[in-house]
Amino acid sequence: MMEEVDRILIHSLREAGTDIDEDVQSVKQFTSELIVEAVVKCLRVIDPALGNGLSHSLPPGMSARFRLGMSLAQACQDVGFKGEIGYQTFLYSNEPEIRSLFMFLVEKLPRESAEASDQPAGKSALLQRAIAAQIKEQSSVPWLPPSCRLPIHRKTQSSGPCYSFHAQPLSLPYSVKVSSRKQPKDVQEYWRNYLLPVTAQPSQHASVPASLLENHISELSATQEWESEWNSQGLLSRLTPEEYRSRKKARLQKRIEEQLRAAAQPRPDTHGATRSTSDLAELLQSFGGASTGGDVLTKGTRFTHTEKFTFTQEPEKAAQQMAAAASALPSSHQSEEDLKAQQEAELSALQQQLQQLSVQMEEVGGDIKQLTVSIQQVSDELQQKEVSNGEKENSIKMKRQTIDLLPDTENNLLKLQGLVEASSKRVVHLASQWEKHRVPLIDEHRRLKELCSNRESESSRKLSEIKDLHDKIRQSAEEAKKKESLYKQLLTEFETLSKDVSRSAYTMRILEIVGNIKKQKEEITKILSDTKDLQKEINSLTGKLDRTFAVTDELVFKDAKKDESVRKSYKYLAALHENCTQLIQTIEDTGTIMREIRDLEEQIDTENGKRTVSNLEKILEDYKAIRQENSALAAKIREG
Amino acid sequence: MELSESVMKGLQTLADPTVFDLKSFTIFTEVAFDSLVSHRGGSVLGHPDLKHIDQTTLKHCHTAATTFILEGVKQNADKSTISSCLEDVKFLNERVDTFYISFQVGQCFVSLIHGPPHITDAEWRLEYCIKNSHVHKVNQPSYLISLNTERAGASSEINFSCTMDQLQDLVGKMKDAAKSLERATQS
Repeated sequence: MMEEVDRILIHSLREAGTDIDEDVQSVKQFTSELIVEAVVKCLRVIDPALGNGLSHSLPPGMSARFRLGMSLAQACQDVGFKGEIGYQTFLYSNEPEIRSLFMFLVEKLPRESAEASDQPAGKSALLQRAIAAQIKEQSSVPWLPPSCRLPIHRKTQSSGPCYSFHAQPLSLPYSVKVSSRKQPKDVQEYWRNYLLPVTAQPSQHASVPASLLENHISELSATQEWESEWNSQGLLSRLTPEEYRSRKKARLQKRIEEQLRAAAQPRPDTHGATRSTSDLAELLQSFGGASTGGDVLTKGTRFTHTEKFTFTQEPEKAAQQMAAAASALPSSHQSEEDLKAQQEAELSALQQQLQQLSVQMEEVGGDIKQLTVSIQQVSDELQQKEVSNGEKENSIKMKRQTIDLLPDTENNLLKLQGLVEASSKRVVHLASQWEKHRVPLIDEHRRLKELCSNRESESSRKLSEIKDLHDKIRQSAEEAKKKESLYKQLLTEFETLSKDVSRSAYTMRILEIVGNIKKQKEEITKILSDTKDLQKEINSLTGKLDRTFAVTDELVFKDAKKDESVRKSYKYLAALHENCTQLIQTIEDTGTIMREIRDLEEQIDTENGKRTVSNLEKILEDYKAIRQENSALAAKIREG
Repeated sequence: MELSESVMKGLQTLADPTVFDLKSFTIFTEVAFDSLVSHRGGSVLGHPDLKHIDQTTLKHCHTAATTFILEGVKQNADKSTISSCLEDVKFLNERVDTFYISFQVGQCFVSLIHGPPHITDAEWRLEYCIKNSHVHKVNQPSYLISLNTERAGASSEINFSCTMDQLQDLVGKMKDAAKSLERATQS
């Protein structure tokens, strides 16, 4: 098992930068130089500040080596090694200590794989990484002159014909909204006989891909938007898709209309509507405006009409005046100033007329308003009077009838009473019939109401279920997409990972070891229980032996006083017992001694592993070397 | 690969053996690729073997097929994606294979790559103007740069002259561009 550990340690130390020979297979074969180099390189990776101050090769001088050993030990303790460590661990090493030190250092090495797997898996990050990889690939290929290019360079180095990405709208032989059978005959014929295929429609062949792609994407996004809108608002409104669409269209049209109308309102301070507003008013009328809007517009048009009428007189008057002025023109010897003066006089006259007419118009407008108000009042009064007339006529009729009935009082009274009774009986009868009809109808009404409310609650419940399902679908689709992309990404990462040390070998080894340990534990428990049983047996047998011996002893001793042969047999019995006791004792001693031998052998093995003898020899040599150095230094000091 | 409803319908019609038998299907595939690659005009669907199919349906399928091809080229789709898409619209296996073979061949010709010309070489000349006919003393250096560019195998030259500052500016901008490209590869 130690070979596996050693192999892993050596591999990790190689990764950290130590130069280990190929034939070094276990930690036992590490020399002091190798140990020092490995430890320093590991320290440099773990903590650069600590490790950069130490050199990774053993200096030749003994005192320098000693110093290096001490600083290494100190550094290891700084990093966190809890075991006993000193300069002797590096200079006079032994296997177990070295192994534990290396295991500690390799544990402390930062895990390089953790950084790589922290990369975010978002779509934009993936795209960025793909772009970076492409750029890296393209920039690593050197430029070749055209004659040397291979086909793989075609894409990057000799680009094909280049056109800009212009999209043109295309005319398609189908419609998304109306099925092809319901299209009018002309459209169908156009599609069949005259419509060009899509690739021939754009004016430049180079725009074909662009136009097709644009068309496709716009269709896709339209469907997506409709889906999201339908799922959020459409389902809530409980309408069919067509009804929802038509309602939305009507709503939007109304809004557009209102906005345009607000912008097109004729302002009260400008005299007369301008041409543009009248055009806009006609456009709005073509939308099919509401009644109130129509009134406003008709009032406006009425005003324009009145204006038109008043102003149509104007041009006539002006023409007349012009004619009068023209006829009143004296001979052609008129000087220009006179002409100007005449024209100015005419202009001022016309302006005065204009003012008068506008004043008149205002007055007339005011009169019209007053008159309309009075008309309204009068019509109201008329209505009231008619109503009261009707009432009075009714009362007159009744009074006339009573007067007619007066002469024949008694009979008529009787007849009237009979009528009254009959009518009251009829009323009662009708009321009972009505009750009879009413009750089942009310029950029916109640039942239908309940049904309706049940249905509503059912439908709202189903709607919420549908919404939940939609959400779940969306969520699981998103999760599936995410997991797929993650899977693809991890697959590419896995392929690029190095295959030096296989994880599966590790895991299998670990599982094997765990199984072995379990088996050993079972065996140990079995052995323990066996030992306990044996001990119990021994105890019971010794007890039995003592008791039997005591009983036999007494019996024989009693008879021994009388008989000689019994005395001899008693002596033999005693001797037998003692010899057997001795035997047992010897066996026990042998067992203890064997155990001690095993322990001592183990100790011998461990001590042998420590290479104490060779280390002591080395220490003696180093000690001699240090003494020589000291004496050399002392001699140098004495000299100068 | 997401496809719109009309494209799916067109492909479904294309897959229908009653509308397109195998021979017409093969001819149609060729015609579709051909129409994208070369400029044929309105007669591209006028092949005699396709005349027995209703022209409206034919044009619809042509639109759907060309859109599908372009989407495939745009996304660099591999065989599994295309096959799965076609099988979703109930294409028979042999038709899928026929389509994919034509797709592979035609992929190289449908060019969606656009770009400006590449600069391959540069020559420069430093000019020092001492005096000219208007001014007695000019004493100004300027650079005459000639860039060899290449586009689609044809090379041409761009010649211009600039002052020292402008040339420094240009070189600085090129260095910035190179640095930002390097930074893009690292992130």
